[in-house]
Amino acid sequence: MRTIDEPSLAPPEEREDVIGPTGAGRRRSLLSRETLIVRGAQLMVGLLLLGLWQLAASARWPEPVLARSPGQTASYLFDAAGSGELWSNTRATLKAVLAAWVLAGAAGTVAGVALGLAPRVERVLTPYLDAANAMPRIALAPLFIVALGINTSAKVALASTLVFFIALSGARAGVRSTDAEWLRLSTVLGAGKRQLFVKVLIPVATPAIFAALRLGLIYSLLGVVGSELISARDGLGQLIAYYSSTFRMEAVYGILLLLGLVAVTLNQLMGLAERRLLRWQPPADR
Amino acid sequence: MTMTPHTLPAPADAGRAPGEAREIDEAIAFNGVGMTYSTNGGRPRQVLDGVDLRLARGEFTALVGRSGSGKTTLLNMVAGLVDPTSGSVTVMGRRPRDARPHLGFMLARDALLPWRSALRNVEYGLELRGVPKAERRSVALHWLDAVHLRHAERLWPWQLSQGMRQRVALARTWALDPDILVMDEPFAALDMNTRQSVQQRFVDLWQSEEHRTVLFVTHDLGEAIALADRVVVIGGGRVVEDLKVDIERPRDLPLITLNRRYEEIYQHLRGRIG
Repeated sequence: MRTIDEPSLAPPEEREDVIGPTGAGRRRSLLSRETLIVRGAQLMVGLLLLGLWQLAASARWPEPVLARSPGQTASYLFDAAGSGELWSNTRATLKAVLAAWVLAGAAGTVAGVALGLAPRVERVLTPYLDAANAMPRIALAPLFIVALGINTSAKVALASTLVFFIALSGARAGVRSTDAEWLRLSTVLGAGKRQLFVKVLIPVATPAIFAALRLGLIYSLLGVVGSELISARDGLGQLIAYYSSTFRMEAVYGILLLLGLVAVTLNQLMGLAERRLLRWQPPADR
Repeated sequence: MTMTPHTLPAPADAGRAPGEAREIDEAIAFNGVGMTYSTNGGRPRQVLDGVDLRLARGEFTALVGRSGSGKTTLLNMVAGLVDPTSGSVTVMGRRPRDARPHLGFMLARDALLPWRSALRNVEYGLELRGVPKAERRSVALHWLDAVHLRHAERLWPWQLSQGMRQRVALARTWALDPDILVMDEPFAALDMNTRQSVQQRFVDLWQSEEHRTVLFVTHDLGEAIALADRVVVIGGGRVVEDLKVDIERPRDLPLITLNRRYEEIYQHLRGRIG
C-alpha cells in the first residue's frame, strides 16, 4: 500500500503526459523563426503596395487632381514633422482617443458585467440599447459640438458613444460564458457571492472584455477623427478636413498613413498586454 | 420503508432501530427525502419518494442506479445545492449548507479554473476558506506530491492530460481535509487506463489515513463494488437495495474483479438495478 508520504518524484512515465510546449527556450526559438518569416512577408506586401501607389500616381489615375506620389507625400510628412504641425495634432487626437477609451471603456465594462448578471434588467433595456447603438454617430457630432463646444470634450463624447457599446457587449458576453460547474464547485467549497464574482466571473470575462477593449481603442480613434472632420480646432481629422478642402492630397494621404500607423501601434500594444494578461490560455485561443 | 444495509447471502442483519441515538457516528442522514421537480407547463416530475439512508462516519458508500434515478439529486442535497421537497437531510447533524466546511466535492468534469496553475487550483478551496497564503501553498504542494504531480505545479490546465487534470482535482479535494467526500461520477470522463490509475490513487489515499466518509455516485456498478464498503441502489425514487461489500481492504483494483465475492455481488446487484 502506498502512503501519502512517499517521495515527491513522479515515475518517469507519468511525466510523459504533459501536453503542449513547456520548454520556454524551444518555444521562443520556434517563435522567432516564425516571426522572421512573417516580418519578411509583411515588408514585401508593404513594398508592393507602395509600388502600386507609385504606378497609379505616375499614370495620373484615377483623377489627375488626386494623383500624388509616395515621394510627394513623404516630403509633406517631412516638412510637417519639422514644423511641429504633425506632432501637436497627433497629440491632440491621441489625448481624446485615450480619454474616450478609458472613460467609456470602463463605463461600458461595468454596465456589461451588470447586465450579464441581471438578465431581467437586460431584457428590459435591450431594445433601447440596440436603438442607441444603431444611431449613425456622425449625425450626433453636430449635437455634441453645439452642446460641448468646439473642443476635446466634443470629440471624447462622440468616440465614447462607440466605445461604450463595444465594451458593454464584450463584458456581457464574457460574464455569460461562465461554466455552471465552476460556480457549483466554488459554492460548495465555500465561496460567497463576492468571491464568486472576484474569483470566477471576472477572470472568466477577462478575455472577452479584453477583446472588446482592443476593438474599442480603434473605434475610439475612428470616433475622434470623425468628430474632428466635422469641426475641431486641432487634431489629425481637422488637418485632413483642411487639406482636403484645399486639394493638397499629398498631405491628406500622409495623414491617413500616419493614422494607420497609430492604429497599428495601439493594436500591437494591446496585443502585448493581452498576451501577458491571458498567458493562461492555450496559444490557439489567444 | 427503511432498508438496512445487509450482506450477501445472509438476509439483513439486525440493523438499527429507527430513532436510535446516532449523533456520534452518523455523517449523513436522509430522512424520508422526496423530490418533485416542477416542469414547464407539464406535470410535476417526482424523482425521489421517501429515501431513508444513514451513512456512518468513515463509511464509503456508493450510490448506483439508472440515469435519472435521482442519485445526483441526493448528492446535491448533501452539498446544500438543492433542498428536498419533503423530508430532510442532515450532514454531521447540521443543515447541509452549514456543514459545507466539512465537505469535499468532486465532479465528473474536473472543473479546474483555466486561469490558475495546477498549484493554484489545488489552493483554490483553501483560499476560499481564508487559509493564509504560506500555509495553503505548503498544503497544496503536499497534495500535488501525493497525486504525483509535483513536477506540474506551474502548468496551466490546458497543458495537462485528462488524467492529470483529474488528479489535480483530487488534490484540490484532499487539500481541504474534508470529513466527507462527495463525489459525482468523478472518474467517468477518463479513458479506461487513466481511469484505473486515478482510481487506484484515490483508493490508496483513502485507505492510507483514518477513514473519511465518502458518498460516491456512479453508474458503473463494477467501480462501485471495487471502491465502496456499501452499495446503495436507487430505483423508482427509493432505496431498492443496500448491500455491504464484504471484500477486505486494502484492495488492489485490477485484481479485485478476479475475486469470487466481487462476482457474486456484481451479479446480485445487476439484478436489482434491472
